[in-house]
Amino acid sequence: MYEGVQMSLRLRLMLPLVVVFSASVGYPLLHAFYLSLTNYKITSRGDTKIVWLQQYIATLQDPNYWSSLRVTAVFVILAVFIEFWLGLFVALALQKQRKIKDLTRSFLLAPMFVTPIAIGLMFRFILNQQLGVIPTFLAKFGLAYDFFGPGKALFTIVLIDVWQWTPFMVLLLLAGLEGLSKSPFEAAKIDGASALFTFRKITLPMLMPVISVAILIRSLDAMKIFEYVFAITRGGPAIETMTIQYYTYQTGIQFYRLGLASAMSYLMLIIVMIIAVILFRRVEATRKNQ
Amino acid sequence: MKGVKVKKISKVVRLIAATTAVAVVLVGCTSSSEEPATDTTATSGTVRVLMEGVPDTDIVSGLLAEFNAEYPNVKIEIETASYDQMRDKYVASFTAAEPTYDLAILDNPWVGDFAKAGFVKPLDNLIASTNGYDYEDFTAPLRAIGEADGQIYGVPFYNYALGLIYRSDLVSVEPTTLDELAATAKSLTTAGRAGIAMQPQKGYKAFEEWGNYLFAAGGTLYTDGKVKLTTPEARKALQTYIAMYKSSAPKNSLNWGFDDALRSVSSDKSVMMVSYNWMLPTLNNPEGDSGALAGKFKLATMPGGKQVLGSWHWAIPSNSSASDAAWAFVSWISSKAGEVKRVTAGGAPTRTSVFNDPTATAKDPNYFTTISKILSNAEPLCQGSNCDEMINAVGTELNAAFAGKKSVDDALRAAEDQANKIQAD
Repeated sequence: MYEGVQMSLRLRLMLPLVVVFSASVGYPLLHAFYLSLTNYKITSRGDTKIVWLQQYIATLQDPNYWSSLRVTAVFVILAVFIEFWLGLFVALALQKQRKIKDLTRSFLLAPMFVTPIAIGLMFRFILNQQLGVIPTFLAKFGLAYDFFGPGKALFTIVLIDVWQWTPFMVLLLLAGLEGLSKSPFEAAKIDGASALFTFRKITLPMLMPVISVAILIRSLDAMKIFEYVFAITRGGPAIETMTIQYYTYQTGIQFYRLGLASAMSYLMLIIVMIIAVILFRRVEATRKNQ
Repeated sequence: MKGVKVKKISKVVRLIAATTAVAVVLVGCTSSSEEPATDTTATSGTVRVLMEGVPDTDIVSGLLAEFNAEYPNVKIEIETASYDQMRDKYVASFTAAEPTYDLAILDNPWVGDFAKAGFVKPLDNLIASTNGYDYEDFTAPLRAIGEADGQIYGVPFYNYALGLIYRSDLVSVEPTTLDELAATAKSLTTAGRAGIAMQPQKGYKAFEEWGNYLFAAGGTLYTDGKVKLTTPEARKALQTYIAMYKSSAPKNSLNWGFDDALRSVSSDKSVMMVSYNWMLPTLNNPEGDSGALAGKFKLATMPGGKQVLGSWHWAIPSNSSASDAAWAFVSWISSKAGEVKRVTAGGAPTRTSVFNDPTATAKDPNYFTTISKILSNAEPLCQGSNCDEMINAVGTELNAAFAGKKSVDDALRAAEDQANKIQAD
């Protein structure tokens, strides 16, 4: 009897969440799934037909889709790798800081609070060959570098992301570092362990749950890369910076093919879910090992 | 007897009255066909229109007071937005139960899709019933852009046909062939100044600029209704473009678009550019960015005489809640008299008659003579539907060739295949 009442209370408490979740996430997801099974185009009124898996097959046969997946993967791996190591380095330095800690941290975190589209526009001008402060500075030394040229544009986009999101890594890793127990470090110091040994054998393993979460969150976020591409390169030169989000936007919004874009989104959702499950399991395993 | 006489007189009076009435009606009809006698106060409503934040929109805004002097009961509300926002805002309004806009301006690649989707209504009947409108007076290439499936969906607002803009103090003879253009650009290139500021940016810009090179090489975009780019002319155009980019364009300008090229020319960093014809007054404005260079720029047709044409058209959404008032405004601003007012204020011309108007062309008659030539021999990048997608696909392939990522032949073949596939869908 008591258990039944408790279940009922649990369900009732969950009900607002279920309703809000169904309306805000469930309905769009279901509608997008329905669209992915049709040939719906915004400009073909009343001409929509169910085509079942045709849009999925078309997506999988589209070389530009695979290319944009590859570009997105390269971007995520490079950006998160640099952000992690740079973030860890800065976090370790900040951990040792004793004076004006709050001011330093506020300054460091500032880029994170600016909307990415504004960051994109800002760098578009900073790196502009005619107006940009950086090309002008380089020109003073007789140097010229085409930041958005072939073979360079994607790395420029990576560096912009690093500039904006390294503070996020710093924030998480610093919180993790400050939460670590002091005793293993004191024991290592007494035993005469070197700084590098302590870092490799104590700091990194103990910090692993935080590192896993930080990488998971940043990777999932980096997969959404859209604003810098939209504001700066529009996927160019050729399709070198055509990320999956920009390609899907182009297909669905710019070219009106919402059915095809929905299939692209669903395939991406499946990929993201697989990656998320793998990373979550890794986080869980790390937590259990500790 | 008296009664018979009275009857006869009464018959005569009725006959005279009837004849007079018919005569009055006929006179009324005759006068209305010669001079519009429309009661402009009878048209009323609020017309909401979204326009791009550009000088041509400011010119239209500046003429609203004159419009309202004729149509006091029509209120025009202009909302401005950047180009990137416009199409999505329009599509949202066209598909909504309650429209946000009662009047639209359409960029030329949108016309086919919006007409096919039924987003905008045919204007044929409105044009036919508007006395003295003279639709045929718009230049033929501009008229063609606003038409789809034999019906008129848009009337020209302003043109953005391209032409060759050059420094008259540095270029003594206008190039008349593509090879001459390449040679001129190369000969003018120095350490501090490029011969020509190019716009190879991926997508629309790449295709728009290269299209002029294709025409200059004697090529065409469509053959028998299909995009045909695997031709010797297209190959020559692309090879010349790439060679010119390497030898005569500013370094690291592969991502350059219209504003980058304009800055380069106005700041004495480049001598020539292929750009919109109405950039000339901007460059020659003594209070503008060109500074001491103002007055030294000239406009020429592209070598070979043919160029890429772009344009904006007025259109009335099918779900407009004020279509009569919207047409009242469109027919006023795009009438012969409205065109003269708009062009005199600095707007880009669309009607043939305006080139013979001394008021409109007074500022620079030579400039208007060149625009007249440009508009008589120009072609848009795309005909039919899915134009945005087609232009982007071709522009991406061309950009890949500019960047050295694809060979000339591979890029042209891929561009042709994609363009035809997209347009057939």
